[in-house]
Amino acid sequence: MLEHVLNGLYYGSILFMIASGMTIIFGVLGILNLAHGELYALGAFCAFTVVGFFAGQVASPTGPVTAVLFGLVVLAGSLAAAAVLLPVGGALEATFIRPIYDRNEVYQLLLTYGLLLVLTDVMKVVWGPSPIDVGVYSGINAIPTTELVGVSYPSYNVLVILIGVAVFAWLVWFFDRTKTGRIVRATAIDREMSTAIGVSTDRMFTLVFAIGAFFAGFGGAMVSIGPSPASLGMGLDWLVLSFVVIVIGGLGSLKGAFVGALLVGVSSRVVTPYYPELELAVPFLLMVLVLLIKPEGIYGTWGEIQ
Amino acid sequence: MTTGPTAGAESGGIDRRTLLKTVGGSALAIALAGCTELLEGEQESLENADVPDEPIESGLQTFTEGAPAVLGVQARYGAETAVRRINENGGIAGRNMNLDVVEEGGAHLTNYQQFVDEGKDVTFGPISSSGHAEMVPEIEAQEVINVSTDGTVTTLYEEDFPDVTYSFRFQNHDVMEALAAVMQAVEVLGADSIDTYAGINPGYAFGQDEMDLFSKGIEQVAGAEELHSGFPDLGTDDMSTHITEINSEQPDIVFSSCWGGDATLLLEQGHANGMFDSIELLVGPVLYGSANDMSEDLVDGPIYSGSRNFYWGEPSTDRWSPAADLVDEVQSEYGVVPTAHFMSGYGAVTAWATAAEKAVQLLGRWPEQDELATVLENHGFFTPAGYHTMGADHQGYSNAHFGELTWSDEYDAAALADVNVFSAESVSPPPGEVSADWIGNW
Amino acid sequence: MSRFLVERDGETRVRLSEGMELTKSRTILAAVGLVVLFLVPDITRFTGLSFTAIHRGILFGLAAVGLNLILRHTELVSFGHAAFFGVGAYGAAVLASYFDVSSGLVLLLGGVVAATTIAVLIGYFVAGYLDIYFALLTLAFNQVLYAFVLQSSYFNSSDGLSVRPDGLNPPTLFGFQWTTSGYDLILYYFTIVVLVVSLLVMWKLVNSPFGRALDAIGQNRTRARFVGIPVEKYVWIAFVISGIYGGLAGGLFALLQLHVSPDPTLYAFVSGEILFMAILGGFGTLVGPVVGGIVLVYLLIQAPFYVEYYNALTGLLLIAVVLFLPEGILGSVPKIGAELARRRRDPGMLREDVATIGTSLRRAATRAATTVRIIVFGVN
Repeated sequence: MLEHVLNGLYYGSILFMIASGMTIIFGVLGILNLAHGELYALGAFCAFTVVGFFAGQVASPTGPVTAVLFGLVVLAGSLAAAAVLLPVGGALEATFIRPIYDRNEVYQLLLTYGLLLVLTDVMKVVWGPSPIDVGVYSGINAIPTTELVGVSYPSYNVLVILIGVAVFAWLVWFFDRTKTGRIVRATAIDREMSTAIGVSTDRMFTLVFAIGAFFAGFGGAMVSIGPSPASLGMGLDWLVLSFVVIVIGGLGSLKGAFVGALLVGVSSRVVTPYYPELELAVPFLLMVLVLLIKPEGIYGTWGEIQ
Repeated sequence: MTTGPTAGAESGGIDRRTLLKTVGGSALAIALAGCTELLEGEQESLENADVPDEPIESGLQTFTEGAPAVLGVQARYGAETAVRRINENGGIAGRNMNLDVVEEGGAHLTNYQQFVDEGKDVTFGPISSSGHAEMVPEIEAQEVINVSTDGTVTTLYEEDFPDVTYSFRFQNHDVMEALAAVMQAVEVLGADSIDTYAGINPGYAFGQDEMDLFSKGIEQVAGAEELHSGFPDLGTDDMSTHITEINSEQPDIVFSSCWGGDATLLLEQGHANGMFDSIELLVGPVLYGSANDMSEDLVDGPIYSGSRNFYWGEPSTDRWSPAADLVDEVQSEYGVVPTAHFMSGYGAVTAWATAAEKAVQLLGRWPEQDELATVLENHGFFTPAGYHTMGADHQGYSNAHFGELTWSDEYDAAALADVNVFSAESVSPPPGEVSADWIGNW
Repeated sequence: MSRFLVERDGETRVRLSEGMELTKSRTILAAVGLVVLFLVPDITRFTGLSFTAIHRGILFGLAAVGLNLILRHTELVSFGHAAFFGVGAYGAAVLASYFDVSSGLVLLLGGVVAATTIAVLIGYFVAGYLDIYFALLTLAFNQVLYAFVLQSSYFNSSDGLSVRPDGLNPPTLFGFQWTTSGYDLILYYFTIVVLVVSLLVMWKLVNSPFGRALDAIGQNRTRARFVGIPVEKYVWIAFVISGIYGGLAGGLFALLQLHVSPDPTLYAFVSGEILFMAILGGFGTLVGPVVGGIVLVYLLIQAPFYVEYYNALTGLLLIAVVLFLPEGILGSVPKIGAELARRRRDPGMLREDVATIGTSLRRAATRAATTVRIIVFGVN
């Protein structure tokens, strides 16, 4: 049972990294970004190139020390890959999304769907149509983690869980403690008032979209250094699951996204062995349940990040 | 069943001369069998035939991008290789062949209709079995021959459409590969030592069918008991739940019809979680389809994979030059080793092309669709994989290949060792019998 | 003035029935549209256009017309319309596969009844929700249904069901077993009739007191409640009506494809596509969603035959529509017409246009530079 819970936490952590970006963007900009799954995929493809290059510079791990070093290099590579998403996200927001803030929100859906399709083909041009794998998974698993306490469990999963928690902690710190973060929150709560005290909402929005894209990309990088390859269309299922997570947690709530992601992850992983036929449906059943009982989600907030 | 010589054992020793006699000496048939030397003076009936000048137009629908492209791109390479060989050897009765390729994803019926609207002489594909089932009646209505590369759901020609004219399928069907997996498991472990089994299969019709058939087979042969059966979503990113479950249940055998990215994911997570220490054997009919995406550490362990009706190293390339030539050509042209799905594309084109030429020889002119369809029934032909027949039920019958997953330093790719070749009749029911009933008396 | 012509607001209008009047130019447009629709089988025979793709597009467009009822009037975005489309298709398929019903019309009726039932059920749960919650709740119900069908052997999981009652031949239409090409043609004309009737019914509906009430609900629920409109009940009814349109389209889709599987009918992204069709064609109009349906379906199906990067082509077109045709394709027609007319009168405006484009390009460049600066140096 412990292992099933761990599997759920691992799955939930990846889900959180993707959903966090989506919930931030929705919370501040009020945009339901359908292209978010493709930003995640873009991160996975960038990781193939960047992490592949980084990992090529160091030898494959032979002992615990080299394994830790290898792991750090891969992590640095993943961050570098996700960093590609910062300018990409910023440019997408400034070019395509900014002109339509004042329009009926349904146009945002159509526009971000258009971006989804274009991004898919951009990745097809750059990385080709077939799935590609960076091939560092077994190297990461050579890092000793659970063996130290006498359990056998993939180190990669443990790392993902830790990184998920770290991402959450960083986001909370950023929005609670930093000046920029507070300005973003102020903008989210009252756009007009922030403009009145001299905040450029345009810049805030660009920044927030770039951060959201960064974490989607980071989630993608985390998946592609794992057992799965990067492939076209990999973002679609995660996009739909991200909806589920942010709805369960409460739209725009960071804490909600974290709890929601872990809830979806753990519940689907614990239920599946007993009711294999529910594997696909569990997240959606959970979502229906939460919406019917507590429509605003677990930490229901609207348009502000908490 | 008109299976012809069971190529596995016999054609292993076949030399080019014997082959030429067997296939009847047509230049094209020989070229597609993988032999480049031609016989002289056998082409008269073709030269005098009344055949139009314009090239043959053909269309292939397959998965060209995303996760399923692991299989689809191989099928495309296969079809293109066959077409290239046809054109390099003077075409079919003098007619060159053009091939258009389109993404099949979700639009099987309209793709086929569009091909017909464009005036295609023949169409090939798809990979998807639901897509194939959707297409069959439309093919019958439009009366333009389609030779399916895969779309391997067994019941399609057995129960759903037992009496078709224009719709054919080249690749072995699901029963053949699930039962080959049963036989392989029994051969490795022995029926007496197989008490328990489990399955991880992709969560859609193909995975569910394969698991069902394997269960029937292994329970029939070894009386084994099922401990866990999981169906992760097709194209999932995480199977750890099912692997954890298998680790705690410790079955003797795990059966998995996972393919593409799911196959590598299973091996990656299986290794990382120590699954191969908890089980005796993993058998997977299509694991080898991902051969080009496997690294050396993945193939380690008691893992056996099927390779449908073709494995490039069987008969071994030092004895069987057509296979060796094919591997060389594919390596230099595409930089990959060909898998069974390569043969799906290659064989589908070959089946139609050799039948078309046979029809021209018989008729002295280019055949109509229905004439060509008649010739395709019970049509036998060679590819580098050996001998194949297109049954009267429009299902292709070939040997099923199964072997231990290993690593080839020579090709720097996953390979199969100790390949077992199961003849078609040993893993599929005789004509007119329904597989599900037949397995019960297996 | 004859029975069919009335004078209103200083314009002559064509009167179809009580309360249904069209301006002259719209009448001409509608007539032309109708003639084109009836000529589609002939047009496609002489051009490279795909008949089936257009037929399929019309069906999805019909579903989008239904979705547009709640989108345009109650301002609710449904992300789960494929639930009705899919259930409509499966309703027909189940009758054909398990109950040997051979009449196409009965199959269609079965599909509509099934879809209506599902719409009543889902509508009961979602009618009280607003905005994004409504959108995502409909999505969730849609996905639960999809997961259920995918796992169910009764629906033959992902392989789906055939809509051929005897296994090989299509259902009968109007009592006759047609040949394939005859069947396609009859079904097409039948679809057109269904479409026209559905559009007229929808028109009548949105111009009825009920339609006005929906508008009131869309503008302000609280106020609507105060003037005595039973808000949840009306939303529920509107939702069911929109579901009926979805089911009708799905049932016809089953008759056209003669095979129903979950991915092209029930998956959440089909819901998305139906929604995008309505917006693309112009959700402020009655007929826009049909235009959007034809355009989007045609692109999705046919583009792979002509370009390698077909996704990008479709995507760029959608982006262009959002940015340059603010009311969707059909919704922007009057505006474009007016602008063109103004330019014909005053060619000097073209020079202004060029200047505008230059300015916006310059502005975009500045924006990009600022963006880069923010990302590099942060905000302080």
